[in-house]
Amino acid sequence: MQRFIAKRALQSLLAIWVMSLIVFTLVRVTGNPLDVMLPLEAGPEDYERVRKHWGLDKPVYVQYAIFLGKAVQGDFGNSWKWHGHSAMSLVWERLPATLQLAGFALLISVVIALPVGVLSAVMKGTVWDSVAKVIALLGQSLPAFWLGIVLMWIFAVNLGWFPTSGKGGFQYMILPAITLGWFQVAAIMRLVRSSMLDVLDSEFVKLSRIKGLSEWKVIWKHCLRNAAIAPLTFFAIIAGVLMTGSVVTESVFSWPGTGLLVVDAVRARDFQVVQAVVIVFAGIFILTNLLVDILYAYLDPRIRYQ
Amino acid sequence: MATVTARALPWYAAPRVAHALRQVKRYPVVSLSILMLFLVIPAVFAPYVAPYDPLKGSLAKRLRAPAWQQGGSIEHPLGTDKLGRDILSRMIHGARVSLMVSLVAIFVGGTLGTALGLTSGYFGGRVDSVLMRLVDISLSLPTILLALVLVAAVGPSFGTVITVLVVLLWARYARLVRGETLTIKERDFIARARVAGASHVRIMTRYIFPNVVNSLLVLATLQVGYVILLESALSFLGAGLPRPMPAWGLMIADGRELIVTAWWVSMFPGLAIMLTVLSLNLLGDWLRDHLDPKLRQL
Amino acid sequence: MRRSLIFVVLGLLLALAMTLGTAPSRGLAQDAKVQKLVFASAGFDEGNRFWVIPRPDHLQYDPFLETLLDVDPKTGEYAPRLAEKWSNSPDFKQWTFMLRKGVQFHNGFGPFTAKDVVHSHSLMLRPEATATLTGFWRQVEKVEVVNDYQVVFHFKRPTTVMPYAASRAGDLRIVSKAQWDKEGQEGFEKRPAGTGSYRYVGRQPGLSISFERIDNHWKGEKPAFKELVFRLAREESTRLALLLSGEAHVADLPRELQKDALKKGMKIFSSSFPVDWMTVYLGGQYYLPNDPAFKPDVAWTKKPVRQALNMAINRKELLNTVFAGKGTMTYVTGWSDKSEGYSVEWQSRFDRMYGYNPAKAKALLKEAGYAPGQLKFKILAFTEPGESEGPQVAEALGIYYKDIGVETEIEVLDWAKVREMFRKKVIQCCIWPNIISWRPAEEWIRTSYYSKSPNHHYENEFIDKQYELLTKTVNPAERQRIARAIADHLFEEFADIPLFWFANEVVADPKVIGEWVYPGLAAGRSTHFNLIKPAK
Repeated sequence: MQRFIAKRALQSLLAIWVMSLIVFTLVRVTGNPLDVMLPLEAGPEDYERVRKHWGLDKPVYVQYAIFLGKAVQGDFGNSWKWHGHSAMSLVWERLPATLQLAGFALLISVVIALPVGVLSAVMKGTVWDSVAKVIALLGQSLPAFWLGIVLMWIFAVNLGWFPTSGKGGFQYMILPAITLGWFQVAAIMRLVRSSMLDVLDSEFVKLSRIKGLSEWKVIWKHCLRNAAIAPLTFFAIIAGVLMTGSVVTESVFSWPGTGLLVVDAVRARDFQVVQAVVIVFAGIFILTNLLVDILYAYLDPRIRYQ
Repeated sequence: MATVTARALPWYAAPRVAHALRQVKRYPVVSLSILMLFLVIPAVFAPYVAPYDPLKGSLAKRLRAPAWQQGGSIEHPLGTDKLGRDILSRMIHGARVSLMVSLVAIFVGGTLGTALGLTSGYFGGRVDSVLMRLVDISLSLPTILLALVLVAAVGPSFGTVITVLVVLLWARYARLVRGETLTIKERDFIARARVAGASHVRIMTRYIFPNVVNSLLVLATLQVGYVILLESALSFLGAGLPRPMPAWGLMIADGRELIVTAWWVSMFPGLAIMLTVLSLNLLGDWLRDHLDPKLRQL
Repeated sequence: MRRSLIFVVLGLLLALAMTLGTAPSRGLAQDAKVQKLVFASAGFDEGNRFWVIPRPDHLQYDPFLETLLDVDPKTGEYAPRLAEKWSNSPDFKQWTFMLRKGVQFHNGFGPFTAKDVVHSHSLMLRPEATATLTGFWRQVEKVEVVNDYQVVFHFKRPTTVMPYAASRAGDLRIVSKAQWDKEGQEGFEKRPAGTGSYRYVGRQPGLSISFERIDNHWKGEKPAFKELVFRLAREESTRLALLLSGEAHVADLPRELQKDALKKGMKIFSSSFPVDWMTVYLGGQYYLPNDPAFKPDVAWTKKPVRQALNMAINRKELLNTVFAGKGTMTYVTGWSDKSEGYSVEWQSRFDRMYGYNPAKAKALLKEAGYAPGQLKFKILAFTEPGESEGPQVAEALGIYYKDIGVETEIEVLDWAKVREMFRKKVIQCCIWPNIISWRPAEEWIRTSYYSKSPNHHYENEFIDKQYELLTKTVNPAERQRIARAIADHLFEEFADIPLFWFANEVVADPKVIGEWVYPGLAAGRSTHFNLIKPAK
């Protein structure tokens, strides 16, 4: 078990390092941040002066070495757009908002998808099954930003039930979370449904039925437990998808999370912040996957020796 | 003796309705026809079907309402946009653009992924672990973020969008094909082919690949919809297709600030995307259920 | 398998925890009478280091940091603020400011004196300074303290634009030396002390900035609203939604959406003067002899083509459709009637030379040797927060040009890319619309037309010579003459495609705001919040 964990951890670190390399080069191809920072009036001396101040006059590999050295200590440099804040502090400030939104969105999608999936599996072949499938599929077919805008106009402006944007109490989260979460309902539902179907057919459920257990008991006690293992993997994937899907949702609802942060940073060519956000996101995603892998290996010893 | 009381059945259990809905589920005729209507026919016949030039508009005719609203006319059945361009024509041409982008991206990404997946699964060993690491890394790339950065670097264009999409798509194909290859290569007929002296390439292409095609088809169908959504999201963020192309995503982005007064500018392309992707997903579901139930986990 | 269920439940609990475990609810105060004025802004470069922030983004300092001179909201003239009187030496190399007595900094940092002026200026000299006028401030040889209430700025060369730079239209925000000495840069950034009638309370990056009214302003100013909040929302539809739902009382809206707000009973408060203008610039006009960047095959290096590109555009229609009719004509790029060298003659000649005449445009093109369909080029467009009309104008231009047989392709880039292209003189391929704020004529000429500055919009020997002469001239009549000569030249040569002047317009709820007079020319455009009069 130890070896397995060590191997996977090492691979994860490698993945994160490659990510940093990719992001670092890519971001520098986007262009010269000085063109964003300096006013129209700036002359060549001003360009030189500011370039030197931010260390951009050094060759790229030197810049990368400096960056890497500081990054492993957690210092991703200072933001060029949000003056006075370090890149990392901005990410940490904004990350809770994104996690909060992602968490809530996940909650909503699970809360909807679980019963719908169960229903769909149990009532397989009937109208309800089809209806459930279509509802779920609808979620996967709507462009998220369009849904967000439509929801905002119907519920926030015209009906006034929710605020339009920003962050505050619970009510600010609802529309963005629905926008973000709806897409996942289909995937989760489908997973639950198929797991349930597998199990419903299995021998030991038939046995429980013969034993005379009530139908509901059969479903909840035996099937759901077994069906629950599959969503575990999905959990990790969805978490990652939700975090990046939040970029669009946060733009529409002005939700001050890391998604919005990175969009603004890319526009402003704030390399430091873009690097920090991308690496943190990728890091979280990779680490979640690592954890899930380890959990899986713990539960299912066969995997350890793959 | 018990009598069977003839109680009226609830509407959803009424034989005809249930039958109809079963048809939808069983035969993708309905979803196929929606698909044809929205995507394939307009895409292929766009220049003949569309009433106006999608790029030409008249500022005097801007933001005309759809025909059934006050201020609208049958001249522009779905209204006009900010620059006086006919929405219906742009939607029809947009179908073509969306379809082209998706098909090209999936074809290139799929081919790349399949080739790498076959190699990885077949040869195993170090090649396999390196490629799988690459797949993992690729799947952990924060997709939209990298698209933003890339497009900020090289500017929006058809080629850039395709590149971004390919980078995001290939990994899933690679993983799927690798998994299937691993299973297939243990089978007897492969061993026999090897004994008969077939080269690795021949085995991969002639023996393994045909068995993988089913799954590929399902994945591809499911992905067309996803790619259309992704492209529209990128266009919305300004990192997608360049103006003034009549892409659906761009149209929604254009109309976003007008959503309350000129709702039709964003609404119709949004509906088009939804219906297209929905029918593609239904199609994909059906394909999967019937071609290869093993793929239920997709 | 019990374990897997546990994990799923744990996962759900985690999701729940993430959901609930954050910021406490902050409900909006629904007072009967509005105490907290909320202004929904498109966003700006945020930060308290005013020396790195460009002029339009100084909106965020207007309520609490003041400048030496003010800009009169009605007349647009420079007026006393922290300086009571100012004068210059005959050679315009020295500017003396008599400072006001009895001004106290916020948070108890003591009285305002000459050393604060020196300190504020020194901030502009820091290596990271990127404010709009840093170049200007670096031309100050020294700031001499004559006594506690008198300073003299010594310049290396004659400077007539000092009042502009030292005013509310410039960016020299006066901050406290005492605070800097005591709390350092960190303390300053956390809670900068100013002298305005509002005091800085705090900010949430990306979300809002808040200010609160002080009781003892040196001028006795007492703004009508106890609290002022700038709420940031980059999406236009979000700002409109904020305004209509009452979450914001004033909003910065694009002209497109103003109609909708007006329909719902909102009112527009316009600046007293036009503030920005839009022009379409033509790349590649490098007419200095032997300039390697000059490419003679670029169509608009021929004057008839430039004129044709101007005459193809129906400016009235463009104004009415893209800008809801809100603007006035620009006759020469950068010149308003407040600029040195402005001439009323341009208005009378404009129609004949630049007016909408597609037939003549086609004829001019033919004369220059371009048959219909032969001329092809790119139009570059970009958007900035609060300036969303670029791509629309580009597309409209495309349509007008198609009518006269010119093929165009629109490329939407970001501003920085476009800027990089004209800085490096590789923009011969393209034309691009841009919105720029008013500045004094000499500044504008230097920025755009003087060959030694980085922007190269249109350069030739005549302009260079005239500009250099202008920088040495101090006699006002002479200056007018030279500025006029340059502007006339640009007018006659069709140097670019001038479009419109715009005033700054904000949309507000008339139930909350009764009157707001502001010049628009001050840095930040929407300024003088202290002068807002509430509705009765």
